[in-house]
Amino acid sequence: MKTIITVFRKELKDSLRDRRTVITMVILPLLMFPVLIGLTSRFVTSYEEQAQEKTLTIGLSEGVGAEGFSAGLEDADNLSVITGLSLDAATEMVIADSLDAYLLFHEEFARQVEELGQGEVTIYSKQTEERAIEAGRIFDLLDEYEVELRELRFTGLGIDPDAYHVISISTENLATGKEQLAEMVGGILPYMFILFCFLGCMYPAIDLAAGEKERGTLETLLTSPVIRTRILIGKFGVVVLTGISSATISLIGLYLGVRYVSAIPAAFIDMIMTILEPGSIVLLLTLLLPLTIFFASLQLTISFFAKSYKEAQSMIGPLYPVIIVPAFLGMMPGMKLTAATALVPILNVSLATKSIIAGQSDPGIMVLVYISLIVYASIGLFFCGKTFGRESAIFR
Amino acid sequence: MIEIRNLSKTFKLSRKRRKEEGASGTDGFVKAVDDVSFQCRPGRVFTLLGPNGAGKTTILRMIATLMKPTSGTIEVDGFDTLQSPREVRAKIGFLTGSTNLYARLTPNEVIKYYADLHGMEPSRFRQRKEELFELLDMNSFADRRIGKLSSGMKQKVSIVRTIIHDPAVVIFDEPTTGLDVITSRSIINLIRRCTSDGRTVIFSTHIMSEVSMLSDDLAILHEGRLLYCNTWSTFREGMIEASLEEEFIRTLKGDKS
Repeated sequence: MKTIITVFRKELKDSLRDRRTVITMVILPLLMFPVLIGLTSRFVTSYEEQAQEKTLTIGLSEGVGAEGFSAGLEDADNLSVITGLSLDAATEMVIADSLDAYLLFHEEFARQVEELGQGEVTIYSKQTEERAIEAGRIFDLLDEYEVELRELRFTGLGIDPDAYHVISISTENLATGKEQLAEMVGGILPYMFILFCFLGCMYPAIDLAAGEKERGTLETLLTSPVIRTRILIGKFGVVVLTGISSATISLIGLYLGVRYVSAIPAAFIDMIMTILEPGSIVLLLTLLLPLTIFFASLQLTISFFAKSYKEAQSMIGPLYPVIIVPAFLGMMPGMKLTAATALVPILNVSLATKSIIAGQSDPGIMVLVYISLIVYASIGLFFCGKTFGRESAIFR
Repeated sequence: MIEIRNLSKTFKLSRKRRKEEGASGTDGFVKAVDDVSFQCRPGRVFTLLGPNGAGKTTILRMIATLMKPTSGTIEVDGFDTLQSPREVRAKIGFLTGSTNLYARLTPNEVIKYYADLHGMEPSRFRQRKEELFELLDMNSFADRRIGKLSSGMKQKVSIVRTIIHDPAVVIFDEPTTGLDVITSRSIINLIRRCTSDGRTVIFSTHIMSEVSMLSDDLAILHEGRLLYCNTWSTFREGMIEASLEEEFIRTLKGDKS
């Protein structure tokens, strides 16, 4: 045990003095969430504010319907109305972005309304995602006009306008904050944690195996009277520690991002805070630990096999898609943690994390997840030990 | 004391090499060391001389328990390398020309690390470290990161790392490769000092001047086989050619014929 601690302490000290390790283990995970949350919320808020405050330029066709509509717009804020436009002229203006929308009221609009029919209005505009808020503002104006006309119609018919609503519908969202959070960010959070576990392991794994081989220090280390397994455990411990630290630091980053990025709505902060409870964190870490052991063993095996630091990097690089694809699949809507998906490495962690966030983890399935993770980690460790013991790999 | 008997080491060729050498009938294997026997005695420098690929490094790695012999035995101070590898490793110090150090650690940290791996008592370690640091004038840079030291300073750290645990047997594998004259001289001095302390020293090289400067006993290896093994003085007395280099080439040519 003493020699394992000796190797562990030395490797940890050595790794923590490596700039690349510190960047991937501490700085990147610590800053990722605050930066991501900060940028996203600022962007969304500023986009919404701009779309709401923008002066919309609306073109209206000729006719009584359009005139009636336009009369109600006199007090509307941030609105400029051009009346009496022909369809051809308006279409060109919409295409040229000098008009946000053109409302074509049917030439028979007034008669249609008068005869208790439906007055036809066609909106010509660029219907893209980025103009969704502007489109919503135009629909709101038309809704107000419709309410006004309906009240006139119902009053004329001697009917209470409130009688229009036969059913009063109200909704109560019974989904817990955790469930709503799982819906919103349940996919992306495990993806990030998995990625940081992998990245956190990478540089120490390369440096402590292929790096040592390349520098020639491994040869001298192996001539010390220490059982090889103990050297391996010492190195392995550091790689696992950096991987799990990276994921833990990303949790701290998430907390800091949510707590101190002011643009986030309070309700969202409360929801996020529910997954930062000690119980959820412990559950998350117990999932990430065997996964990190699996990643560490995989990367150390490759690194011990590689001739040099560079070769190890180029051999570990192709693992990215292998890690990313199942982690990404976990983000897909409808993808659930079942007895089958519990056996797929990485995907199982992604889905299990999602269910932990939602507070809906099934104990039986979770046991399956843990068993499969332990099996994969053991297989990884076995191959790592085998490679480290093979002189053809060490002296390749 | 090192006792080597009928030592052989066969390597399996890589798929690429097997393809290249398919026609030459190696059966996918190459014999790096072929039935080699010799003895290295305490207080003497045993030199392994041979061209590149002669099998010198493979023999030294087998002595250091880094590789396992295909056949034959090696005993280091009475311990068999296969049966008691840890005991053997406790007895040896190993320095190669390609060895580097942990650039992000300081000399103090590196030396302490190796002392801990060898299970040295703290008081013994302190005493030994002070002696060696004093001897090699290392105290001025003992707490600087190795990556920032000159090659001469690094070599001093390597030397202390090799002998901090006071090994009975010291193995040097082409230790002066790529070093400048002054740094090479510090290695030569270390090898001399080791023998005066009564240690067994085995040393591989292909540099003739080092052979004449250091050797007590000499073995010439070629393509894994031992062509010559005797004392250096016997070899020198029996030389036909004027220079060691010529004599060495003659010995190799004799093997070919």
